[in-house]
Amino acid sequence: MPTELVRVIPKGAVQAWVERLIGQGEVIAPRRGPGGDEVFGTISRPEEVLWDFGNPLAPPKEFLLPQTEPLALIRRDGGSMHVEPICDEEPRILLNLRSCDLTGIRFLEQVLGQDIPDRAFLRRAESFTLVSLACTKPCPLGFCVCCGAGPFLGEGFDLQLTDLGDVLLAEAGGSKGERLLEVGEGLFRAPTSEELERRVSLEEEALRSFGEITCHFGSAMRRISTRRVDETVWAAMAPWCLGCGGCNLACPTCYCFSVKDRSVQWAGKPGDGATDAGTRWKDPGEGDLGPSWVRCRTWDSCQYEAFTLEASGHNPRADRAERMKRRFYHKVSAQYYQKDGVLGCVGCGRCIRVCMGTTDMPAVVEAIRKGAWEGAGVREVALHV
Amino acid sequence: MSDLLLPSVATILAQREETPDTRTFSLRFRDVREHEAFSFHPGQFLELSVFGIGEAPFCLASSPTRPEMIEVTVRRCGEVTDALHGMGPGGELGIRGPCGNGFDLGSAEGQDLLFVAGGIGLPPLRGLIWNVLDLRERFGRVTILYGARTPSDLVYKEELTAWAGMEGVRLETTVDKGEPGWSGNVGMVPVLFDRVDLRPESTTAYVCGPPIMIKFVVQDLLMRGFREDRVISTLERMMQCGVGKCNHCCIGHRYLCRDGPVFSFAEIKEMWE
Repeated sequence: MPTELVRVIPKGAVQAWVERLIGQGEVIAPRRGPGGDEVFGTISRPEEVLWDFGNPLAPPKEFLLPQTEPLALIRRDGGSMHVEPICDEEPRILLNLRSCDLTGIRFLEQVLGQDIPDRAFLRRAESFTLVSLACTKPCPLGFCVCCGAGPFLGEGFDLQLTDLGDVLLAEAGGSKGERLLEVGEGLFRAPTSEELERRVSLEEEALRSFGEITCHFGSAMRRISTRRVDETVWAAMAPWCLGCGGCNLACPTCYCFSVKDRSVQWAGKPGDGATDAGTRWKDPGEGDLGPSWVRCRTWDSCQYEAFTLEASGHNPRADRAERMKRRFYHKVSAQYYQKDGVLGCVGCGRCIRVCMGTTDMPAVVEAIRKGAWEGAGVREVALHV
Repeated sequence: MSDLLLPSVATILAQREETPDTRTFSLRFRDVREHEAFSFHPGQFLELSVFGIGEAPFCLASSPTRPEMIEVTVRRCGEVTDALHGMGPGGELGIRGPCGNGFDLGSAEGQDLLFVAGGIGLPPLRGLIWNVLDLRERFGRVTILYGARTPSDLVYKEELTAWAGMEGVRLETTVDKGEPGWSGNVGMVPVLFDRVDLRPESTTAYVCGPPIMIKFVVQDLLMRGFREDRVISTLERMMQCGVGKCNHCCIGHRYLCRDGPVFSFAEIKEMWE
């Protein structure tokens, strides 16, 4: 097993461990939302953590790259403008991530960290400890086996947990993971050789149960990268896409953004730092302490017509077909694969869940590969359900 | 501030009207040290923000050989430019940059230089032209061809007169449609090619303007024997971050804000998406 440190914890001791983790910083894990849905959220009591769950529809990327992320507080003081950076670097633990979602977070670190690195994002990412819970049985729509993003991970995790039935096996992938094991001192013990063997055989079983490769990225990549996808394929698919951008919002690897100034009322004192941003500004109307704005990074969608709309009125991607082509070129092309070093899909299957028009990743990859769009019927081919 | 999306503050020192909808703003970083540390190449651009309204990219219209002030020339056509036009001396803007690759002037040393601009396409070339004129001995003949819709749409009118009077500089202007009092050329920019003496084999051409103008000018230059890698232009797309992260300005896997905005025609014709 390619890990530095492997420990096991009896199921009965897990809540005590989570209790100690909560003492280390904010713990975010799958839990029940107000309406009973499974969502990622802050854990205040260990029993809130879900250990057997369908992957929440909203991916955990929002904790590293919030849908609206404050970047700086801009304030007018007399005639003078002041810009104060806002960076939230509180230590947080993301617990029970699925392998696909953890791979998605590493993807974000890669693309935002390469070329000119986004240091504020990297600092924030560094403050997170990522704990994955390996998938021992396939989820209904997942195709992580096609992207090398699961069901178990060989690397990338700080800590990878495997449910062995009576115990959880924990593999540390680095010092941050080891730290979480130290926090659980007295609760963890060394694994028996039988437990290590069980861990290996569970991974083999999981791979088998995930079945055949159903989303053929290699073949799609060859075609899309060499301009062998006829424009008529995109034109045929375009009417099926509703342009809602749901695929982008639900995708663990989508990170396109815009930058906007949001008007707020300044609720702090000048120059007293801006790290506790959440408590420092109020929405307009809650106080009147002079004009100020928060410069925000907000998620955007390449499927929206205004994504490329210029002030002149010119729009190079005014057609939905052009926008769909853009999305899949970015995700699947060899040009991007070589530039980023990673595939832009982790096989979580969320786009299949959200897309009302069936133009999800496996269906479109199939269309690219075959050079033809077969309409909604392709769903049965693409999904191994 | 070194963080990627964080603006510094710049102060507007002066602004002047170029045309009814276009103004040139002279800026300095509010922090003297930041201003002195700022260096750039012509062809690079800035992300300027009117706080509370938004941020947008603008080409640097001044020359690095004249570092006292940073100049941008802005046509009023959207929310940010509208707000910017409402600002005057003393106003404070957000400023990030320089972004993008800029013109590689070093590779053009010893060559004749041809500048072809249409309308609001002159500002990206203006910084380059002053840079060249300030290092005059390094280059051969300088020819500037500039066209606009009407005489009142010509920007930098005083500078056009100054350039025309300089030794070793040939300047020709044209307008699509004349006005009373206009005695100059009438017609699209390519009509000027036959009025000047060009040596295509040893000339680097810089072309900036609306897409339709670029298309016809480049076509004409290639037919006259200009090399594809010596015909240089700048491309535009909707931009947000200016630093290769937000994905708004991509053409295929090229990011205009990082790989561009300056490209040779040899590069442009290989782009697809």
